Amino acid sequence: MNWLDFFQTAKSTCDVNFGRGINASINPEEEELFYKSYEAFEKKDILDAYEYFFKSLITFTQENSNQNIIIKRTPKELEFTIYQGCSKITGLITQKTLFAQTIITKTSLATVALKRYILERNYQLTYANYFSDDEYIKLKLYQDNITLTPQKIFFPLRELALNSDFDKEHIRSEFSDIILQDTNHIVLLESKELEVKFKYLKLWIEELEAKVLTLPTNDNSGMQSFLYLNILFKIDYLISPKFKIYQQLSKKISEYFGTENSTVEAKNEELKKYLLTLKNLTLEDFSDNFYNAKYTFDPTETSSYEDIVIFITESQNKIKWYKNSRYLQIIPTIYNYIAFNSLYNYGMKPVLKDLFHTLVKIQNSSYFEELGCSSLYDKENETFSKRQIVSQIKTIIENSAHKYKNLVVFTDDLDFSSMNDFSNSYYTMLQNLDFEEL
Amino acid sequence: MNTQIILEKYIENIIQIMTPAGTGTGFIIGDIIVTNSHVVGGLNEVVISAKKIKRRIAKVIYDDPYYDIAFIKTELKKPSIPLVLASKNVDDGDSIIAIGHPYGLNYTATEGIVSRASRLQDDLEYIQIDAAINPGNSGGPLLNENAEVVGVNTFIIQNANNLGFALPYFYLQDALHAFKEKNQVAVIKCPSCKNLIQEEEIKNDYCPECGVKLEVAKLRRKGYNPTGSTKLIEEILSSLDINVTLARRSQASWRIDEGSARIDINYYENGIIIGDTKLCAIPSENIDKIYDYLLKENEKLSYLQFSINENSIYLSYLIVDSSLTFNEGKVAFERLIKYSNKYDDILIKEYGAIAQKRDEED
Repeated sequence: MNWLDFFQTAKSTCDVNFGRGINASINPEEEELFYKSYEAFEKKDILDAYEYFFKSLITFTQENSNQNIIIKRTPKELEFTIYQGCSKITGLITQKTLFAQTIITKTSLATVALKRYILERNYQLTYANYFSDDEYIKLKLYQDNITLTPQKIFFPLRELALNSDFDKEHIRSEFSDIILQDTNHIVLLESKELEVKFKYLKLWIEELEAKVLTLPTNDNSGMQSFLYLNILFKIDYLISPKFKIYQQLSKKISEYFGTENSTVEAKNEELKKYLLTLKNLTLEDFSDNFYNAKYTFDPTETSSYEDIVIFITESQNKIKWYKNSRYLQIIPTIYNYIAFNSLYNYGMKPVLKDLFHTLVKIQNSSYFEELGCSSLYDKENETFSKRQIVSQIKTIIENSAHKYKNLVVFTDDLDFSSMNDFSNSYYTMLQNLDFEEL
Repeated sequence: MNTQIILEKYIENIIQIMTPAGTGTGFIIGDIIVTNSHVVGGLNEVVISAKKIKRRIAKVIYDDPYYDIAFIKTELKKPSIPLVLASKNVDDGDSIIAIGHPYGLNYTATEGIVSRASRLQDDLEYIQIDAAINPGNSGGPLLNENAEVVGVNTFIIQNANNLGFALPYFYLQDALHAFKEKNQVAVIKCPSCKNLIQEEEIKNDYCPECGVKLEVAKLRRKGYNPTGSTKLIEEILSSLDINVTLARRSQASWRIDEGSARIDINYYENGIIIGDTKLCAIPSENIDKIYDYLLKENEKLSYLQFSINENSIYLSYLIVDSSLTFNEGKVAFERLIKYSNKYDDILIKEYGAIAQKRDEED
């Protein structure tokens, strides 16, 4: 810990989760455990191999295990439970086989549409498949242990975990009569947190509507897109809804980027309509879309650092164009958009994700403050908590320094003159990291 | 004569030829199947099928890579209306018909005109045509309006619109004549000295007449030798008494027909091996019951699973190549083949599912 951290308030970290997937640190001994698992699989010490493997996937909050995987060992068997969002996977491993399953809903409640959905999902899945027994609809995984390595078991378990979590969320939002089973592990959010999230959702939409009015009347579709997409990415990362809001929000984003036979104006109109439905939500309906849970697997595929750098550079070029064209009102939005889009689309190394999160925290200080987290920027007086910002960045880097040869940050180059200048210098800092591994 | 009438009249003469490298076309002249050398790909055995010939292995008895001609021999029942070679070359502007199996689409006839009756390519004459021919047409006949063979469809210019080239009938006539005179099987025409060489006379792949290295001789000697997971899949299929040469559709796909079910095995570039059977289609009544049955069966099945895609029911086995072992693969593929036929019957008879319609088998 950096010595400057002693001067921070007790609220420097807060219990609120942001973004998707794992909001925790990976096991500090992850690599070593993974390697031990590999060796044990080679020696056919199957139960040891699985034990090391599962331990490598246990995540930590500060120095405490999140208990996202629980294992119980007997001389001949290993029982396990894996938590992934609203899915709880249980399994049994013997010397010869692995069997894992997760309960989705009661067979008696399954409608014809749900049955069709899961049978179609079976066609898409590689390792796992849906079935029904007398009581439940379940997703199962069966593997022989003969040729396994940790790499070979990672992907089947990841598929089972991610898809059961995704499908349970999808079923809940698409088939409202169906009651999901085995969800006692999920934790509902405190009403205070829900109220803050609800308040800010409405506030951001109102601010957006006001901002749209400041745009030039003609030729503004690109700017409108930045505004609409930015708020969707922002809702996803900062408010982190689940169930119906998450499903619809991701669908809207993917339709925007995936539809080729539609004009930008028409796509903007779609997003505008969707935001209006969000604006009209009642607190009760809104609150139905939230829970906290443990996660084991990250849903995003790891992207290369170079791809992220390219995205930042391209976005900065767009900022230059808007600056030269005197459309200054859109520039703060794009500086926000770069971070939210990156956090939504790119699977990042934990250190890079933490650095992006710090920037988001500075750019959206009022929201973080209201959630009870420490603030690094005084919006009213337009002043930065310079020393704390520098200290937090350095701590993030120091925590990962053991993995990389030359990972250093040039915080002296950060420009605190204005939020735009700061964001720009922060992105320049992010573009100049060296992730060559030790 | 109308194109479709010509196709129907002479369809028994048209052969589909399959090798691990792809598919092509051939046609019967006398008691021989004529095709392109590049279609047989240097192999001494290929798989053929036709309207009146069930899928079978046939010998390549003549291979001439220079003129791109090959002859195949198998037990043939003479077609009711046999194709014959033309006696005069085409002229510019003549109407022609190309018949073949482009992209595996069986028995496709396309008409066009001769853009140039004699186009020199290196030192060989070709008939340039504007009929739409595609990969898979190679080795097929080019017919004139009297349905006489005026050429062998041989190559196209890639990414160009309808620029096809056929080897004129007179080269083929010469080859047939010379081959019959030689009165031998397993003959290679040396691309350098143009002598017909009996395969058993070739030592170390060198032409005994002019000493040039005969690439075709080398390829025929080596044959097709799969490696890695492809080899393992074929070993597993062989252990299940499946003739892998007949089952092989390409280097990475196999097809097995068992009763009413057709099992396709594909090995994809991402390392996934999928064996699946497209069983019957969803019925229009009692659909809920069929879903219940499939989901319930999935509980009992190991290695295999039921799924639905585009209204059809699939029974599948999926595995990553690095995880495939002989023992597991044998159990899984054996079950897939056995259960596919069984389940297809159950689903059709007991649940009213609709049997799959199939295009003519190649």
